[in-house]
Amino acid sequence: MFTAIYHYLYLTVLIILAAMLFVCLLRAVKGPRVADRLVAVNMMGTIVMVMIGILALMLNEGYLVDVSLVYAMISFLAVVILSKVYIGIYEENRHKADASGPEEKGGMSDGTV
Amino acid sequence: MELFEWIRLIVGGIFILCGLVVFFTELFGVFRFRYVLNRMHAAAMGDTLGISCCLIGLIIFSGINFTSLKLLLIVIFLWFASPVSSHVLARLEVATNENLSSECSVYEDLETLQADMAADEHDADGKGGAL
Repeated sequence: MFTAIYHYLYLTVLIILAAMLFVCLLRAVKGPRVADRLVAVNMMGTIVMVMIGILALMLNEGYLVDVSLVYAMISFLAVVILSKVYIGIYEENRHKADASGPEEKGGMSDGTV
Repeated sequence: MELFEWIRLIVGGIFILCGLVVFFTELFGVFRFRYVLNRMHAAAMGDTLGISCCLIGLIIFSGINFTSLKLLLIVIFLWFASPVSSHVLARLEVATNENLSSECSVYEDLETLQADMAADEHDADGKGGAL
């Protein structure tokens, strides 16, 4: 009896989390700025981690938790690296826009207001 | 033994339900707030509190073994990683927004902020004295 209860409990939680995942995706598509999209992708990563953990217990496969752990690390790395890359692209475009100025390293000082 | 199984099911279910409620609050906040730096508060809550509630429920279901240890490791890793990623995202927003001062108040340096706060405090004191 307990196996049936656990199975339906896991199934219900997975369905609710999948619905939330689609709403997060909506935010990532709608977000007016880049940071909006990155916040939504971060949330989607968190929800997917919980879903993989539930799947690991539902299918009785312990190694799926390792997949979740690696997913956490790669999701964190993706957010940090994408932020750095966007900051770099922005600075580069701004330097290209006012290329008449002879100083090259002027961007960083007023980028940290 | 039967009773012990029921208690485990109910306690773990309550933890997972708390996690789902926190995730729902996170989604609501992300759609309710108007600007990224406000939305980040709601999003960071789900990264730490929501996933820790859900995974504590799963640990209670799983019992004491290596799987629950790895689940605990995920929670601890996210407690360290989530503030860092929020900080980096806030820096991205502040560095790339041209008209940030239309969304929130911006201070050029620390001295201006301290002078402004001191003026506010002095103003409040003056009002209190007048009353």
